[in-house]
Amino acid sequence: MMESKQIKIFHGPQHPGITGNMSVELDLIGETIQRARTHVGYLHRGFEKLVERRTVLQAFTIVCRICVPEPDPNEENFARAVEGLAGITISERAQYIRVMVQEMSRLAAQLLWMGGQSGSIGLGTVGQWSLYDRDLILDLFEQLTGGRVYHMYTFPGGVRRDLPAGFLLRLSELLDYLDKQLPRYDKIFFDNATFRTRAIGTGVIDSDTALERGYVGQALRGCGIERDLRRDNPYLVYDRLAFDIPTFDGGDVYSRALVRREEMRQSIRILRQVIAQMPEEGLVMQKLPKHRKFTLPKDDIYVATESARGEFGYYMAGDGSAHIRRMQVKGPSLIHGFTLLEPLLEGEELSNVALIMNSLGICPPEIER
Amino acid sequence: MNALTTRYDVTEKNPRLFSIEVDTRDAWREAIDFVTTHTAFVTLSQITCADWIEEEVFRLTYLFTDRARSQNLMVQLPIRRDGEGLPSLSNRFPQAEVMERDLHEMYGIPFEGNDTLYPFVLEGWTDLPPLRREFDTLAYVHAHYDFQQGREDNKDVKVEQKRRREEAKRLKAEQEEASHDGE
Repeated sequence: MMESKQIKIFHGPQHPGITGNMSVELDLIGETIQRARTHVGYLHRGFEKLVERRTVLQAFTIVCRICVPEPDPNEENFARAVEGLAGITISERAQYIRVMVQEMSRLAAQLLWMGGQSGSIGLGTVGQWSLYDRDLILDLFEQLTGGRVYHMYTFPGGVRRDLPAGFLLRLSELLDYLDKQLPRYDKIFFDNATFRTRAIGTGVIDSDTALERGYVGQALRGCGIERDLRRDNPYLVYDRLAFDIPTFDGGDVYSRALVRREEMRQSIRILRQVIAQMPEEGLVMQKLPKHRKFTLPKDDIYVATESARGEFGYYMAGDGSAHIRRMQVKGPSLIHGFTLLEPLLEGEELSNVALIMNSLGICPPEIER
Repeated sequence: MNALTTRYDVTEKNPRLFSIEVDTRDAWREAIDFVTTHTAFVTLSQITCADWIEEEVFRLTYLFTDRARSQNLMVQLPIRRDGEGLPSLSNRFPQAEVMERDLHEMYGIPFEGNDTLYPFVLEGWTDLPPLRREFDTLAYVHAHYDFQQGREDNKDVKVEQKRRREEAKRLKAEQEEASHDGE
């Protein structure tokens, strides 16, 4: 019998099964992974340094670029950190609009994820459907903000402009459409025998480790732990909205997928309430000083938003000047990409790497910032 | 929280964010032990550094989250900027390993006992750690990259702005004239 030899391969950075510009160094015996090491550094743009060189308000244009699939939690964190330090209170209408933006962003991000997750096992049709549906949300973002992917809309003091005429009606029509679409995704993807066979029992996370090591989002809720910042540490007007926090006990890729499926339904539920409760009037943007006169006190703050992939936090320190002394981004990907992914891949088959990575929602730009 | 307030001077930043400040390595070690064993703040969520170059210190912030994930506590400690390090927390919190590796690369802080402090995102970097305040981004760019001319057909922005202003003025005048004619 031939003796097994260990070989080393790099999964990424140029590989369709990798979630962005990163690479996983794999030591294999046959098809089985013996050791996995994550490598980043292919997309370092120095966001945190760039922010320090601009005035507070100028720095705003940079933050949305930290994560392509969902830029809006970055804008929300930046705005809320600046507002927290500068003592700015925003109107109720602006808060409802911001919740609307966050939930539209969550829906768009989950649809994009569905394309990646299904693509990782060769189910190409699902991605064609889900990216079409995501585009319908991006159409609305374009009407609202002028931009499809990067919106630069959620700004310290509120949002940059009010809703265009008829916007809520168009959003409501889109939600009706998505309500009809979601059961079709069950048939083609979530109940698909190929996906179930591949995902059930793959990439299992245990709940104690998840809590102890600070895993977030579906990595936590997919092993039965009901944690969601929108309820546990509410911001904006989430405490006035009714929604459930879906959890599943399997801890595997399939449970994490089911969590996302239910989260899409909850986002639609939240958006309908936002449409119903949206105040008719209210200043959407507080008056702020000119950007060179806008200063932050010498203090620091930590704010966090529940993104589509879990807790997304910003630490921000001001120094009494018109510049930010320090802003650090804490996305889900730093811990998930290293502390979670590396041990999770060990013992798995090579063909499961893309499947597991996609289920964790790892986004390299927020690791490298 | 009661256990914490009896022992430390706790600053309430907002109802869900608190901070305590310590000033020596021993006090820091003691605070981490106390917080993680006597309070609900058991999960290390983030390690951050801010460079206060004028005070010649790095201010490190260890962010702990409670079991319910509803409150956060910042344990803050200033360390000297001239190479003073701290013991690594990676044995107790595996997630600290990559956070310390990041800070080591960006600020040059040595974390004793962390054996993964090799390059993280910067490949072949020989300059100052880039997030230190004395690192000059502009000077680095001038030293390492060539200036690239724009396309020849790039329009001068000021010329274009002037053209648009004049165009808007002309349109407004035409509209006013048309409305006068209508009257």
